[in-house]
Amino acid sequence: MRRILEWLHGRTGYRSGLATLLEEPLPPGTGWWFTLGSVLLFLLSVQIATGVALALYYAPTPDHAYQSVKFITNEVTLGRFVRGLHFFGASAIVIGVGLHMLRVIAFGSYKAPREVTWLTGLVLLNIVLAFALTGYLLPWDQRAYWATVVSVNITKLVPIAGSTLATLAGAPDGHVGALTLSRWFALHVIVLPAVLVLMVVGHLFLMRKHGISGPIHPRAGLTRPFYPYQAARDLTVILIVAAILAALAWRGLPALERMADPADATYVPRPEWYFLGLFQLLKFIPGRLEIVGALVLPGLVMTLLALLPWIDRTPERDPRKRPIVLGGVIAGLIALVGLTAGGWRDRPRTLPPGAWSLREIAGASLSHSQNCARCHAAGGAADPLSQLAVTRPVSWIQNHIGDPEVIAPGLRPSREVDEQVIAAIVAYVRRGGTPPTVPDQTRQAAVVFSEHCIRCHVIDGDGGTEGPDLSAVGLKHDLSWLRRWIARPEAVKADAKMPAFGRKLSGAELETIARFLATAGVSKSSSAVTTRTR
Amino acid sequence: MTSETPALTTRRSLLRGFVNATAAVIGAALAGIIGRFAVVPRARTAEQWIRATPLADLDPGTPRPIIVAVPRQEGWSRTRANETVFLVWDGLTGVRGMSATCTHLGCRVRWDEGAGRFKCPCHGGQYDASGRVVSGPPPRPLSAIPARINDDGDVEVRL
Repeated sequence: MRRILEWLHGRTGYRSGLATLLEEPLPPGTGWWFTLGSVLLFLLSVQIATGVALALYYAPTPDHAYQSVKFITNEVTLGRFVRGLHFFGASAIVIGVGLHMLRVIAFGSYKAPREVTWLTGLVLLNIVLAFALTGYLLPWDQRAYWATVVSVNITKLVPIAGSTLATLAGAPDGHVGALTLSRWFALHVIVLPAVLVLMVVGHLFLMRKHGISGPIHPRAGLTRPFYPYQAARDLTVILIVAAILAALAWRGLPALERMADPADATYVPRPEWYFLGLFQLLKFIPGRLEIVGALVLPGLVMTLLALLPWIDRTPERDPRKRPIVLGGVIAGLIALVGLTAGGWRDRPRTLPPGAWSLREIAGASLSHSQNCARCHAAGGAADPLSQLAVTRPVSWIQNHIGDPEVIAPGLRPSREVDEQVIAAIVAYVRRGGTPPTVPDQTRQAAVVFSEHCIRCHVIDGDGGTEGPDLSAVGLKHDLSWLRRWIARPEAVKADAKMPAFGRKLSGAELETIARFLATAGVSKSSSAVTTRTR
Repeated sequence: MTSETPALTTRRSLLRGFVNATAAVIGAALAGIIGRFAVVPRARTAEQWIRATPLADLDPGTPRPIIVAVPRQEGWSRTRANETVFLVWDGLTGVRGMSATCTHLGCRVRWDEGAGRFKCPCHGGQYDASGRVVSGPPPRPLSAIPARINDDGDVEVRL
């Protein structure tokens, strides 16, 4: 071994290269604050390693993206953990970049001669944000899809070039689809990593060229080599960060939502937390001036940051003697934290992501009464519904359920199927998996609600908006009132707008739905919709 | 460096040990995790009996190619692959199934009615009606596929 290394050194001189890398002389007093750069390098390595791993299974097409991510999470050994590392690693990098920047600002490290190092750092910040944005789309669930619709629409606000940019992003006319997904995938795994590595190398080269800035007030003494003194501090912090990251990933990442559904108008999109501040800012700005919040303000902040070394050009590094910079940064931080907190508080009340909606539960039940299992069975002509990988558009599934002649002539008698029944079965099939076990009454109520009520009423975020939201109707009305109201609304209130259901529903159906609604919102634990499944 | 006191040298080598060991542990953990992750999980679709054709479509003693749609799971992709299976009915209650895949290099063999043989178009392998190698390079007879007649008079194969 020793001889091989000797030979390799003779041919390459690798030891002097290694020595140059490791024996960087550091000024005395270089402390814990200077470990953040190494932590970021570590986190980037984790993202690259886990990213390559995820790419082994991921398929960047709308037909398969969701299925492949689901497969990674549920079937692949350590899949949930590796995805968790990548997911939380992304957040950790954003936090790390923020802290690193704050350290550089507080220590005045961007001052001459390190202005260009600072600028490359800013470019890296934007690359990290671009990674976050493009990566967010890849799981192709509702959250991913609708957040991207918003970012594409923000892109379209860019004056003159807006629609060209949107087209370049694979979203002509703001339509997010197959082209968007493959382009963002290419950006995320090919273009951005290449640019990132180049910029990191440049950033490190400049860091070495000028040496690190060191403590605010230079101390007397000898320099010390990076290895092992500062390296030991770096590794200590890295070890702590790695432990936190592993713990978070082990606890599990947020569940995938339903597969992206461009037709779903009820979904409320939300960005990842690091864009929440921007998201909240847009709420305060009137639509006409949207461009100010979406582009001008963030652009101004970036420009201001880029000009910082020239705005703050005295050699003074002590933050207490640079009140303008210190004040500005603190004000900016307060604004960012405030906006982010506001965005966090304003999140809409929806189902917990693992829960089944009433419509999905009803769909599972209805699929039995519609004889789907005649063909969709183990060993049958088609895969069982619970294992079906949905790759067809919703309209196809609707036709398939509504008019089987279209898909498989002669296979099944054609008959009229109610539109709401179709919608429920579609919801179930798109949801996939085995439905949760719920009490019989709940299942029956889900069927009645999904056939008759859902056109006008919402429960837990799903349904029409013509009538009032019934998620918590049990708090307002009791069972006997609900019975009378559903059967004959005009008998309760003369100018009631709701049609009477006394004749449309059987006695048992009416009783089931009334009993269910009487408990809606009263105690969440008794409701079907909090049933969690994996 | 030579002027360092023994205490400093000890501290230095301790730190070196810590740095090297930590870096190695983190690297090994990451490599281990990703190594496990990279192993493709085994598909959960077991073999099952699949309806192939009504018995009435078979002639006694003559191999018939039948296309069967077999559920396949390749990672996240669930598909139905079309497999060709040769079925031979003995005229009574027995049906034999044979794979149409040549045991040489995996081409699809054809039944030559006139010669009464399976012939492989790729490298000229030939098998008799029961799948035994008659001539050419194939190393093994055509593999047998379990087949049975169910109560409805349909032939099922296990794939």
